[in-house]
Amino acid sequence: MKTVNGNSLKVVVKIEIKSLSDPDGNLDEEKLERLVMILSNLHNSGMQILVVSSGAIALGSKRMGLKSLPEDHIQMQAMAAIGQAELIKIYQHYFEEYNQVVAQILLTNQAMTNAERQANARNTFSKLLDKNIIPVINENDTVSTEDIELNDNYPLVLNVARLVDAHIILIKSVSDGRYMIVPAGTTTPGIIVNEEELPEKLAEVAGERSLYEFESRVFPEKFELLNFQ
Amino acid sequence: MEHRNKIPGKNRIVIKVGTSTLSYPNGRLNFQRIEKLAKVISLLQNKGKQVILVSSGSIGVGAGRLGLKDRPDDLAEKQALAAIGQAELIKIYQKFFDAYDQNVAQVLLTKDGLINSLSRSNAHNTLNTLLNMSIVPIINENDTVSTEEIEFGDNDTLSAYVAILVEAELLVLLSDIEGLYSADPKKDNSARIIHKVTRITPEIEQMATGAGSSFGKGGMATKIAAAKLCDKAGIDTIITNGEEPSIIIDLLEGKEVGTLFVSAKNQQTFNPN
Repeated sequence: MKTVNGNSLKVVVKIEIKSLSDPDGNLDEEKLERLVMILSNLHNSGMQILVVSSGAIALGSKRMGLKSLPEDHIQMQAMAAIGQAELIKIYQHYFEEYNQVVAQILLTNQAMTNAERQANARNTFSKLLDKNIIPVINENDTVSTEDIELNDNYPLVLNVARLVDAHIILIKSVSDGRYMIVPAGTTTPGIIVNEEELPEKLAEVAGERSLYEFESRVFPEKFELLNFQ
Repeated sequence: MEHRNKIPGKNRIVIKVGTSTLSYPNGRLNFQRIEKLAKVISLLQNKGKQVILVSSGSIGVGAGRLGLKDRPDDLAEKQALAAIGQAELIKIYQKFFDAYDQNVAQVLLTKDGLINSLSRSNAHNTLNTLLNMSIVPIINENDTVSTEEIEFGDNDTLSAYVAILVEAELLVLLSDIEGLYSADPKKDNSARIIHKVTRITPEIEQMATGAGSSFGKGGMATKIAAAKLCDKAGIDTIITNGEEPSIIIDLLEGKEVGTLFVSAKNQQTFNPN
């Protein structure tokens, strides 16, 4: 139903676990569950959903009782390893509540630049999406030598969107229940909508394919996103 | 309009919601709509009304759970999916009703369970007890043990039997169209909605052929048949569009939404015309 050129509408969702946590780093599970319900609903409507979520280091540090995030590189990687397990467990738990199956994908920068790895990753994604599975993606911090969990995971979101040729980048507001819908194939600025209008507006954007020229893949860099909190 | 004025006074209500309301065209659940439905029913319960929900959807949920793209045609496979899906469906209802502090209970019925007098009286007692405890019973056909696909055949008929069993005052059938039309509104521009039916004549039944969704099991014809069953038992029936569940609030305020079938037994003090 929600299709572009006969393909399901492909949506990459940017989530920051920080935005779902209180200042002490405790995850607000009610907020997370709400978000998962909304995404499950979009998935049920026939869209393909890919989640890019940060949060491994924060969850790992919390679990190990650290008072603040580590600054040392090796320490960060260790916390990411601990926290990633936690992160995927939480997503799995809540998505399962809404009858969805998730898969964990950890990517490095390398996978994005090396053509062969890129092709592998692309194949994996398309297999998962074909099987109606929601990939939950994060940076593979434990083996990355650089760029450890940037403050903002938008570069990773952008890479994933390019890799899978997504139609939409959906960004959950850090501060409230709103979302920004960014047509991924264009330089068109995103539109900000609330939870209630999300399904309808996404379908609308998909319907206005010609308006947004999805064929010419120009992915918006950060510009207008910085102001969206 | 005098019949509509009586609707707000009705206390025990059976609401039937079909696949076309609960699900997207691919059969997967529309969670945001279910959430709204749970909110509306919880509100009615808080007002002191007793609501029974008759809900389809288990096969689609089961298919989703197993990652199947299409619903199977094979009966045994459908029953297997219903078994998987019903557990999931009731969990999801529980979750959404929980948010409004409303308890729900699952009741699965078969046709012989409603015809056989002993099990009928058991079902009657169970439902009465649940209603008196302010719990919302969520009823479905027990697909996994139904020996034939067509026992009730569709939940429209099941919901009429349930309404009769619990001596409900109103049956609300949520559909994907506004109500009964004088002709198929998709084909005929002059088609108009009929807001009130005081007698289910052959002409009325004729209007029901053709209209209805292609995905759910019931169409308008099974809804008219359900209204007919209720008519005999003195129960009014309303057919309306379930796309926006708050319409249930509107119709219970006596607003002229959907098609109201006034039971002959409720017309004795009125001149029907």
